[in-house]
Amino acid sequence: MEDFLELLVSATASGCVYGLLALAYLVIIRPTSIINFAVGEWAASGAFVGVAVLSTLVWPALEWPWWSALLIVAAFGALVGYGTELLCVRPLVARGAPELSAILVLLGVLVIFREGNTLLFGASPLPSPAPFGFRRMLIGPFPGVSQQFLIIGATFGVFLSAWLFFERTVWGRAFEAVALNRKAAALMGIDLRMVGALAFAAGGAIAAVAGLLVSPLTSAHFLMGLPLATQGFTALVIGGIGRVEGALLGGLILAFVEQFGARWLPVPSGMTLAFPFVLLIGFLLFRPTGLLRAPETRV
Amino acid sequence: MSRSRSTRLSLAAFAIALTMPAFAQDTIKIGVITDHVGGSKFYAEPVTRGIEYGARKINESGGVLGRKLELIIEDDQNKPDVSAAKARKLVDDGVVIFLSTTGSPSTQQAQTVSLETKTPQLAPANGADQMTTALDNPYFFQTGPLASVQLATLMAYTRKKGFKEVAIVRDNTALSQGFADSFRGGLEKAGIKVALEEVIPQGSTSAVANLQKVRGAKVDAIFQAGISGPEMLQFFRAYAQLGMKEPIYGSYNLSIPAYLTMAKDLMEGVIFADAFDPDRPDVKTFLTDFAKENSGGPAGSLEAYGWDGIHLVAEALRRAGAPDREKLRAALQGIDKFDTIVGAKGTFWSFAGGKRAGFHPQGAVIRVVENNQHGRVLQAGQ
Amino acid sequence: MNGRGVHALGWLAGMGVAIGLAFVLGSYHTDVYRKMLIWVAMALGFNFLFGVAGQIAFSHFAFASVGAYGVVILSHQLGLPFGLAFVLAIVICGLTAFIVAIPATRLEGFYLALATLAFSQLVRVTIDEGGALTGGTGGLANYRLPPFFGVDVRGPWYTVCLVLLVAFTLWILTRVDASWFGRACRAVRDNPRAAEAMGVDIARARILVFVMTSTLAGLAGIGYAYVDNVINPAVFSLENSFLLLFMIIIGGSGRHVGAMLGAVVLYLAPFALEPVAGNHYMLVFGVLIVLAILFRPDGLAGLLRITRPGKAA
Repeated sequence: MEDFLELLVSATASGCVYGLLALAYLVIIRPTSIINFAVGEWAASGAFVGVAVLSTLVWPALEWPWWSALLIVAAFGALVGYGTELLCVRPLVARGAPELSAILVLLGVLVIFREGNTLLFGASPLPSPAPFGFRRMLIGPFPGVSQQFLIIGATFGVFLSAWLFFERTVWGRAFEAVALNRKAAALMGIDLRMVGALAFAAGGAIAAVAGLLVSPLTSAHFLMGLPLATQGFTALVIGGIGRVEGALLGGLILAFVEQFGARWLPVPSGMTLAFPFVLLIGFLLFRPTGLLRAPETRV
Repeated sequence: MSRSRSTRLSLAAFAIALTMPAFAQDTIKIGVITDHVGGSKFYAEPVTRGIEYGARKINESGGVLGRKLELIIEDDQNKPDVSAAKARKLVDDGVVIFLSTTGSPSTQQAQTVSLETKTPQLAPANGADQMTTALDNPYFFQTGPLASVQLATLMAYTRKKGFKEVAIVRDNTALSQGFADSFRGGLEKAGIKVALEEVIPQGSTSAVANLQKVRGAKVDAIFQAGISGPEMLQFFRAYAQLGMKEPIYGSYNLSIPAYLTMAKDLMEGVIFADAFDPDRPDVKTFLTDFAKENSGGPAGSLEAYGWDGIHLVAEALRRAGAPDREKLRAALQGIDKFDTIVGAKGTFWSFAGGKRAGFHPQGAVIRVVENNQHGRVLQAGQ
Repeated sequence: MNGRGVHALGWLAGMGVAIGLAFVLGSYHTDVYRKMLIWVAMALGFNFLFGVAGQIAFSHFAFASVGAYGVVILSHQLGLPFGLAFVLAIVICGLTAFIVAIPATRLEGFYLALATLAFSQLVRVTIDEGGALTGGTGGLANYRLPPFFGVDVRGPWYTVCLVLLVAFTLWILTRVDASWFGRACRAVRDNPRAAEAMGVDIARARILVFVMTSTLAGLAGIGYAYVDNVINPAVFSLENSFLLLFMIIIGGSGRHVGAMLGAVVLYLAPFALEPVAGNHYMLVFGVLIVLAILFRPDGLAGLLRITRPGKAA
């Protein structure tokens, strides 16, 4: 039983990270229909920037408190997202290129960021300090480590903000409108460019923060981007694009299948690597819209 | 100065200048395949650093056979097909031998080249047993601490404890899988049951599930087989989180200094096999001299492998009498006692009896991590 | 001489040069040349799948690995005669492609890419954990191409085999492209509903194209297996699938020549860039991709539209 609760916390923490990546995809896909694979590398960059700010491993003389790192990393992510949108995506959207072009451009951006990370931060994994250490803690009946609870808490905070944004603010409604019908939204006076820029900035910020949150567990290293991107996308497919909560649900389901499967399924340990891919294929084939449907069905 | 005098002087200088390059060009070319950007960078670069330092020292004291050693260094990005291509390039450039410092699949694929072109190849730090068994290549020599020797040494150290059941933890890289196979073979031969073999895949965010299974299996010890980087950190985090107490025995991966920083405070008391005894006086001299003459941090066991590797090549060249590939191969094969910086005190490298893996069976040491440092030697040899 | 004659002469000249190179290059350059030929073969097939039929798939290298591992396991682990192993490997490749294609080709756009990506990772895991049969992550070595009727195919003659492989791939693809089926594929890519209205069985067309190009990839994989007589999972990686896509984007415009150009340029570029960019040539490629897509007049539409002088698009 203790195993079950411990694993619950661990899987929830991992699921939250996947959920954040899925959310980063989602806020960009909803208004623009563009799948931005570079979010994985943005998460890696966020992790590295976090290490640079929090420790003396990258540049000397910086060892700032964690909340400042959080702000800096989020701002960095937003800047990166905005810059990418401005330079690489907007010209394509402006001339009416199909979404595929943007997706492929972003693959180029993915490679640029990964090589950039290696150039700037080196190819060795760097330890990332955890703000509350790794104390073993008990919250209610749930045993875990402080970093895991931090991840869970931070993720819920991000998702709550995202939900409030989409459901309760004017800008959120604007996003919805653009997602439903670009032309109509433009006719109603919504600035499409602002929405696009905001979407990418938000996606960048969320991805970078996800990297900052997960790197104390895994270290910051240049190969961390691609697995995160795949895990995030799988979570998105499972949860569906329709609702913000779907991203978190998808992430949790993926992490639960991975970790509970690894723990209890009588499969040789090496083969457990296959689970996320089997899940992805399964959902793509049988339930491509994911588990949660959007409030109004999109055609 | 009169015109004729200056003319004569400049003619003389010109004549000397003409002969100098010719003299400098008469070097012995030695190839090195390294990795600056890929996953094996933190093995390959320190070993290469050791090779470069060693070559420099050899040249300073006159070189080999009256000629200087010239290192030609190529980067294979830890990609096996590039490694084979670069090996061919080195052979075309006229190297008499090339040293492979990158991952096992790359070293393996480059072996095709060494066999085909009959060019000697040395893997100074690679410890995978499969390197000399997968392909029967008389031109390939390996001096890294073999996984089988590491395991045998670990088992000799733990024999008194009477382990009955253990767990092996690895990741999904080639080195780790190879080490796990060697470990399993050795353990089972000694009658110890491997209760389970857990894999922490690259890209995973938590090793809690893996280690819960290990905890549940109630094993006597955990053997860590060649895990690299981030997966290593997750192993230690999960181990600490789960409050586990099983003793951990690791391969020489744990002797990589970068892990001490990455898994700070988590590795206390971990016992690992290494091939480096820092208390030996000659090793201490090596380390101090190295620090004096090189920037970029202190040396460790990896630099020592490189140093010993290039010195082995120099010695073999001297015995061969000429920079000829066949003679060099024969000379290497004939070396039966080569004293090294690495290895337990009193051990040496030897290829006697037709072996191509030169590491001494008694050459591994058992060390423990203390105070976030690679600590004292607990046992030398088996 | 009429157009067709010039065309045939061009083919012959190209083949002549390609084969001639095999006999004049030194060992290092031959190695580079051989691996480049494999990439050209892969790029041609991928270009057809992506540029002509409009399917993005990340499974191309996975099928190459099925071909490579298939022939090596069947002939050297299981002891079958080489000819049989060769044929069986191709058949297994085709069958696997068929099984994957049936569900996969129902997916649109990038979802197909994701599904094929997941499939290729599954293949990778199977190889990694295949134990002694597949050699695991370390791969398989210690095998050679057996002699054909007493003749050892080595050195420049093996390079010639690879040239023939590329020629064969090119020949098949140009024939299919020019045929009714090629037009049907393009119709399915551009406007599936119209194509259906004109009597094209969409599902069947998609499946056929996928199976055909994936089997060609398997053939290229077999070709690769005997270049170094070593196969391991590393070369069939996702990285390389990205690189393949980049080759098509930069060089290809749905045209076979474009695919070949892209493959040659991007394969040789790292060797040329090494003194300048070190091993960060991928950074240069990433920038090139972004520039290529941004500054082609129609973004990707220019890529997907085939412009051939004298023929309708």
